[in-house]
Amino acid sequence: MTSSSPLLSVRDLEISFRTGGREIPVVRDLSFDLSAGETLGIVGESGCGKSITALSLIGLVPSPPGRVSKGQILLNGEDIVTAGEDRLTRIRGNEISMVFQEPMTSLNPVYTVGEQIAETARAHFGSSRAEAWDRAIEMLKLVGIPSPEQRAHNYPHQLSGGMRQRVMIAIALVCEPKVLIADEPTTALDVTVQAQIFDLFRELQRKIKAAIILITHDIGVVAQMCDRVMVMYAGRKIEEGPVRSFIRDPRHPYTRGLISCIPKLSRDPSDTPEPLFEIPGVVPSPADLAELKGCAFAPRCNRAINECQLHSPALTPLGSDRAVACLRQEEIPA
Amino acid sequence: MLTGLLRKLANAVLLLFAVLVLNFALIHIAPGDPVEALVGEMGGATPELIAELRESFGLDQPLYVQIGHYLGRVLQGDLGYSTYYDQPVTHLIAERIGPTLLLVTVALLWAIVIGTILGVFSAQRRNSWISHLVTVLSLAGFSAPVFWIGIMLILLLSVAYPILPISGMTSTETATSTIGYILDVAHHLVLPALTLGLIYLAFYSRLSRTSMLEVLETDYVRTARAKGLPKRLVIYKHALRNAVLPVVTFAGLQFGQVISGAVLVETVFAWPGLGTLAFESILRRDTPTLLGILFFSALMVVVMNLLTDVIYRRIDPRIKAT
Repeated sequence: MTSSSPLLSVRDLEISFRTGGREIPVVRDLSFDLSAGETLGIVGESGCGKSITALSLIGLVPSPPGRVSKGQILLNGEDIVTAGEDRLTRIRGNEISMVFQEPMTSLNPVYTVGEQIAETARAHFGSSRAEAWDRAIEMLKLVGIPSPEQRAHNYPHQLSGGMRQRVMIAIALVCEPKVLIADEPTTALDVTVQAQIFDLFRELQRKIKAAIILITHDIGVVAQMCDRVMVMYAGRKIEEGPVRSFIRDPRHPYTRGLISCIPKLSRDPSDTPEPLFEIPGVVPSPADLAELKGCAFAPRCNRAINECQLHSPALTPLGSDRAVACLRQEEIPA
Repeated sequence: MLTGLLRKLANAVLLLFAVLVLNFALIHIAPGDPVEALVGEMGGATPELIAELRESFGLDQPLYVQIGHYLGRVLQGDLGYSTYYDQPVTHLIAERIGPTLLLVTVALLWAIVIGTILGVFSAQRRNSWISHLVTVLSLAGFSAPVFWIGIMLILLLSVAYPILPISGMTSTETATSTIGYILDVAHHLVLPALTLGLIYLAFYSRLSRTSMLEVLETDYVRTARAKGLPKRLVIYKHALRNAVLPVVTFAGLQFGQVISGAVLVETVFAWPGLGTLAFESILRRDTPTLLGILFFSALMVVVMNLLTDVIYRRIDPRIKAT
C-alpha cells in the first residue's frame, strides 16, 4: 500500500436482488480498501458475487431487480451509493472505468472504434471532435494497435478479439481514471493474447498510475499481476492478504482448494500425471444461502466440523495484513 | 458489394418472372373468365358472339400460348388491355398509383415515427402508463379489423364531429389554386391514412419496444453507460441505432405489401388508388388489369427489398463485410 488513506474504500457492502417477492442478498458484509497504484485481485468461482461487486463500484447494478441495500462505497471519501445519476455519469469512465469480460460484444457494432474512444473524451473533457479523434488515435497507439490512424476508422467486427479488448482498454483509459476495474479481461481470449493484455495493463499502470481491481478465477493471473488478493465465496470475503502469502500459505480451505485446482505440469513424460483436483459440489444459490446459518462453504469443506454448520465465521485478522473467515483456520497446518 | 447487388438484381428478375407465370396460371385455373363477366353485364349473348369475344381476347388459345404471348408483351412494357375499362392496363395503373403511394407513404411514415418513439419510451419505463398504452394499442390494432376501425373513425370524425370528409380524394367543387388542391387532398387524406397507419402503429410500437428492450440489455449499452455517457447518448446514439434495424427491415418489406394491404382501406374510403382498382377488377373478372396490378405489386416488393438492402448497409456496417 502506498498511502495511508485509501483511494477507494468499500464498507459493509450488501447487494440484493428482488426475486419472487423476496429480496435476497447476493453480496454481504463486504469491506475492502484500494490504494492508489495498487492492484487488487478478486478471486472466486462463477456466481460468487465478483462481477456484481465490480458493477456496484460504478453504480451499474441492474436496477430493478438489484440494488445496493447496505453499506458505503467511498471514492476519496465520497459515497458512490448515494451519489445521483449526474454525479455517477461524471465518475464513470472518468474516475473509475471498467473493462468487461466479453470484448466480442462489448463494443457497439455500428460505430467505428475511433468514435467509441473519442466520444468518451468528448463526454468528460468537452473536447472538440478533432481533439477527441486525435486523442483516440493516441490511445490506440498506446494500447499497441498497429497503424492506429487507419484502425480508428474500423468497425469492431473488422478487429480480432485481442484487438477489441485493446480498444476496450483504450476506452477505459482515455480519461486516465484513478481506478480501473478489469472483470475477467482475458477469459475470452487466447492464452498468447492474454499475456500481451496483461503486459499492457502493467505498462499502462506505470504510465497512468491507476489502481487496478482485477477480477479473475485464474490463480496464475493473480500471481503474476496482483499485489493483494481477496477471495470471495457465496457473496462474502473469506480471505484476504498479500499475493505472496496467499499463494504460499492459503488459510481458508476454499482458497487451498482453489490453489490445488491448478494443474501441475510434469517434467518427465514417463511420470503418471496426478489426477486433477476439484472442489466437490457447487456454490450454493443466494436463495439457499439466506436459509443457511453456518459457514457457506461447510457443505463442500473436507475439514468441516459440527460447529461449522451452526455459526457463520467472522473475518478474523491474521497478522498485520491478512484476514480469514474460517473457524478452523488456526488448526489448519501451514 | 457490387457483385452482391448484381446477384440480388438477377434473383429479382427471376422472381418477377415466376410471379408472372404463377399469377397467370392461377387466375386461369379459377372458374369464370372475363367474357362470362362481360356477357353477364350485357344481359346475355349468342354462343357465336361469346366465341368471337373469346377469340378477340386470345382466350381460345392453349394456356401456354397465352402465357407466352403475355410474357412477350410484358417484356415490351405492355401489361395488356383492360376488358372492363377498355384502356391499356399500364395507363390504369399509372393513373391510380399516385393516390396509393401517397396514402401508403403517409400512413407508414407516421406509424413508423410515432410507433418507434412510443416503443423506445415504453422500453425505458417498463411499468409506466406509456408502456401499458403501447400494449393496449397494439392489442387493439392487431385484433380490430381495419374496415371496422375505418367505419368507427368515419362515425366519430365525419358524422358525430363532421371535421373530415367521409370519402374520396378531392371535393366535387374543383379547387381553384394548386395550394387549394393540395390542402383539399390533405384534408381527404387524414382519415384513410389514420386508419391504415393505426394497424402499422400497433405493429411498429410493439416491434421497436421489443427490439429496444433487447438492445438495452446488450453488453455494448452497458459499455456506453460504463463510459459515463449521458443517458440521452446511451439511448439515442448507442441503443436506438441498433434497435431500429428490424424496424427498417419490416418497413421495407411492408411498403411493398401495403398496396395489397391498402385494398380494404381504399375501398372503405373510396380512395381512387390501386387497391380499389384491384377490388373492382376482381369483381369484374378483369384478368389483364388484375394481373397487371399483381405484377406491379410484386415489382414494388422487389424494388423495396433492394432498397431496404441498401439502407440496411448504411446503418449496419457489418453487412458490408459479408
